[in-house]
Amino acid sequence: MEQAFLTELARLVGRDGLIADASDLLTYESDALVHLRSTPGAVVLPKSTAEVQAVVRLCRRSGVPFVARGNGTGLSGGALPVKDGILIGLSRMNRILEVDIPNLRAVVEPGVTNLAITQKVAPFGCYYAPDPSSQVVCSIGGNIAENSGGAHCLKYGFTVHHVLGVEAVLPDGEIVHLGGAVLDRPGLDLLGVLVGSEGTLAVVTKATVRLLRRAEKVMLLLAGFPSIDAAGEAVSSIIARGIVPAAVEMMDRLTIEAAEAAVHPNFPKTDAVLIVELDGPSSEVDELFAVVEGICQTSGATTIEVAHDQAQRDRIWKGRKAAFAAMGRVSPNYYVQDGVVPRTRLPEVLRRIRDLEARSGLRIGNVFHAGDGNLHPLICYDEAIPGQAEHAEKVAAEILMYCIEAGGAITGEHGVGVDKKGYMPKMFGADDLDTMQLVRCAFDPTGICNPGKVFPTPRLCGEVPGPYRAHPVERAGLAERF
Amino acid sequence: MSTQLVEPLDAAGAAAALGDANATGRSVIVRGAGTKLTPPASDVMISTTKMTAGVDHVAGDLVATLPAGISLETANDILRREKQWLPLDPPRSDRATIGGIVAANDSGPRRHRFGAPRDLIIGIEIALVDGRIAKAGGRVVKNVAGYDLSKLMCGSLGTLAVVTRATFKLSPLAPFSQTLVATGSDLRRLSTLALTLANAPPLSPTAIELQSPPHRLLVRFETTESAAAAQAKIAAGLCEQFGATTHVVSGQVEVDAWRAHEGRIFGMPGTVVKVAVLPTDVADLLAIVQRLTSAAGVECELSGRAALGIVLLRLGGDPAAHTTIVGELRREAGARNGSAVVVSAAGNDLFTTADRWGSVGDAEPLMRAVKARFDPHHILNAGLTPWD
Repeated sequence: MEQAFLTELARLVGRDGLIADASDLLTYESDALVHLRSTPGAVVLPKSTAEVQAVVRLCRRSGVPFVARGNGTGLSGGALPVKDGILIGLSRMNRILEVDIPNLRAVVEPGVTNLAITQKVAPFGCYYAPDPSSQVVCSIGGNIAENSGGAHCLKYGFTVHHVLGVEAVLPDGEIVHLGGAVLDRPGLDLLGVLVGSEGTLAVVTKATVRLLRRAEKVMLLLAGFPSIDAAGEAVSSIIARGIVPAAVEMMDRLTIEAAEAAVHPNFPKTDAVLIVELDGPSSEVDELFAVVEGICQTSGATTIEVAHDQAQRDRIWKGRKAAFAAMGRVSPNYYVQDGVVPRTRLPEVLRRIRDLEARSGLRIGNVFHAGDGNLHPLICYDEAIPGQAEHAEKVAAEILMYCIEAGGAITGEHGVGVDKKGYMPKMFGADDLDTMQLVRCAFDPTGICNPGKVFPTPRLCGEVPGPYRAHPVERAGLAERF
Repeated sequence: MSTQLVEPLDAAGAAAALGDANATGRSVIVRGAGTKLTPPASDVMISTTKMTAGVDHVAGDLVATLPAGISLETANDILRREKQWLPLDPPRSDRATIGGIVAANDSGPRRHRFGAPRDLIIGIEIALVDGRIAKAGGRVVKNVAGYDLSKLMCGSLGTLAVVTRATFKLSPLAPFSQTLVATGSDLRRLSTLALTLANAPPLSPTAIELQSPPHRLLVRFETTESAAAAQAKIAAGLCEQFGATTHVVSGQVEVDAWRAHEGRIFGMPGTVVKVAVLPTDVADLLAIVQRLTSAAGVECELSGRAALGIVLLRLGGDPAAHTTIVGELRREAGARNGSAVVVSAAGNDLFTTADRWGSVGDAEPLMRAVKARFDPHHILNAGLTPWD
C-alpha cells in the first residue's frame, strides 16, 4: 500500500481508526471460514457514515478495492480481504440509534450484533426475528450482506423480510436511502436485491429493522426417533396437516453425541431427534401442539419431551445451536456445508450422504433445518493426516451436487462468497449470471466493491449506452465484456 | 400509429419478441389482464395472457411455479386441491395475472399477515430485451445463491424485463375463517384500535382493514374454528373498550363483505391513491384526508391496512380537484417520511408519469442506472415511471 494513500486514510478515520501494521492485519485475514486467508493492505475502522463515505471516495479516486466486514462470523469467505485492497471494519459503528415500539421499528448501525437488538427491545415484549446460530456475535451489517436466516425462518422469513430500509454508501461514494421505516416507498425495490448481495453492491451504514411482538405462547418438544426417515416422516405429516411450526430442526446420532459432550442438553441417545416449536396465540398453539405430539407418536417417536418452561426450552435450543462448535469434541476438524434440497427430497439426499459417508471413510454429521430442507452436513476430518482436508472438501462438493441434482440450492444461509462461487455455474446458466451482473454493473461499474465474490467470472461493465470502447483489461484478454 | 400485438406462449416467445423490437428500435409495452396502470402507446404490445401452461405445484414442499399469464384465481383453484394457496388477495384476483401481480407487487388486505409478492416469491424467470432468458432464485424457500432478481422484479412494473414464470412459497388453507366487523363513530379512534388489535399477543388476525364511510374495521381470523372464535371474542372485548359495536360474519356473508370492501375502492370510477405513513401516523392522515376532501367537496371512499400504515382512497366527482388533493396528501405524507402514489386514474388525464409517483428519493439515479443496464435503449414500458 502506498504511504500517501495510508496517510490519507489516517487523516480520514484518525490514527486509531487505521490498522496497517503487518502483525495487526493478521486478525483480519479471514472470516469464520478460516482456511481461506488473504491479508488486506490496510484496515480502517470508521465511526460514522461520513467516514465510510470519505474512505469509499478515496478508494474510488485511487482505484483501490474495498471489502466491508462486520464481525467476521461469515462462513463463505464473503468478507475475505482483497490483496492490495482495504478492509472497512464496521464494528465501531455499533449504536442502536432509535427504538420505536408503537411502530415496531428500530434503527441500528451495521456493527450492532443481532442479539443486541432483541436484548434492547425485550423489556417491551418485542424481539428481532432472524436468529442465526451466531446471533450473539454476528452483526446486522453482515446479516444484511448474507440475508441471514436461522432456525425460525420457516415461519418468519429471513433478514430480507425484516430489514425495511437502509442507508448505504455506493461504490462511487454517494449515499442512498433504500426503503425506509414507512412501507412501500415508490420506486424499484433495490433493497430487495441489496440484501443478500454479499457486500458486493454497497456498504450499509444504517438499517431500519422490523420488530415483532413476542408470541403469547411458545411450545416446544424434543422427540427421539429410531431413524432419520421416521423423523422425516413426522415432518412431512406436520406440513401435510397445514401446520407451519416456528421451527423444525433435526439432528442425527453423531451431532447428538457431539452436542451431548459439549453442552449436555440431555438429548436421547438415538439415531435422530426432532425439535418442533410452535408459537402464537394460546388458543391456536394449544390445539395444534396436541396434533404435532400425536403425529410424532404415530411416526414412531421413542421419546417425547415437552418443554414446560423457558429454562427447558433454552436447554434444548442450546443443544441444537451448539451443534457446529460441538463437533470439535468428536473430530479434530470439520467442514460445514449449507446446501438446500426441496423438503420432499430430504430422505433421498440423506441416504446418498450416508452412502457417501461409508464410501469416503469420513464421518458426516447431519444437523439441519428440516422444515425448509436446509442441510448442514458436518464432514469430520483430521488435518494432521496428509490429504484428508482436501478429501473432506471433495466430499463436501459431492454433497452440493446432490443438492443441485435434487432441485435445490448450493447455499441456504451462509452465502456464496469465495467458497462456493465455483459452483454457481452448476446452479445457474451463463445468461442467469450475466443478468445478475447487470445489477452489479449498475451499482459498481468499476468493480471495486468486494470484488471476486459470488460470481465465478469477473465481468467488465462497459459504458451503457454509448459507443463501444475496449477496456485495457479486455484488450489484454484478462476479462470478457457482456 | 398502430400497435402490433404479440401473444407469446412461453419465455422463448416473449424473449424473441423483445429481441426483435430491441433490434429494430421499437417501443414495447407489457400487459397482463390490464387491471392496473394504463401504459402509454407503443409500437408493440406483448400480452402475457397466453402464457398459461406449466403450473407446477409441489404440495409437500409448500411451493408452486406459476406461469405469468395465469390469473391468481385460477392458480389458487389449482392449489386449493391440496388445501394450499398463494396467500395474496390483490384487487380483481379473478382476472389479475401472476405476472402483473409480480410486476406491480400488488397485494390486498391479507398482506397484514402474509406480506406482499416480494415476501413470497422465491424464484423467477424473465425475458430480457436482448432476447435472452434468465432465471434467479429457485424452487426452495431457503436460498441465498446469487442476486435475488425476483425481488427486484416485484414492483418494477415491467420496466426491466418481462416476467414469464415465478415460484412462490405457499400457505396451508386455514380450516376456518370468520371476520369481526367493528363499527365506530370516530375514524381516528378506529385506527388506534387497529394498532391495538395488531399488537395484542392473544390475536393473530390475517387482515385488519379500515373502511369509511361508514367507519368500520374488518378483522379477519383464519385458523381452527375454536381458535378463531376465541380470538374474535377477545378482539370484540377490545373493540368495546374503544366504543365500537361488533358483530361476526362467516361463510358467504363474510365472502360478500370482503368483496364489497374491495369494490368500494376498485369497483367504481375515480382516482385511487395509496398513501403510506407510519402506523401511528394513520390517525392524523385520516383527519387530513377528511379535511381536504370536504373542503374541496370531493366524495371519498377509504380503506386500508391501518396497522401497516397503508391507506387507499378513491376520490370521486370532479377530477380537476384530485390533483390538488393528491399534491397536498403527498406533502403531508412526505413530511412524515411517507408517500402518496396514484394507483389508477381512469378517465383522468391530469396525472402524468411524474405526478403519479412523486419523488422516489435519492436512489433515483441508481434506479435509472439499473434500468439502463437492463434496457439500454429504453424500449420497455417507456415513459411509465420516474426511473425510466
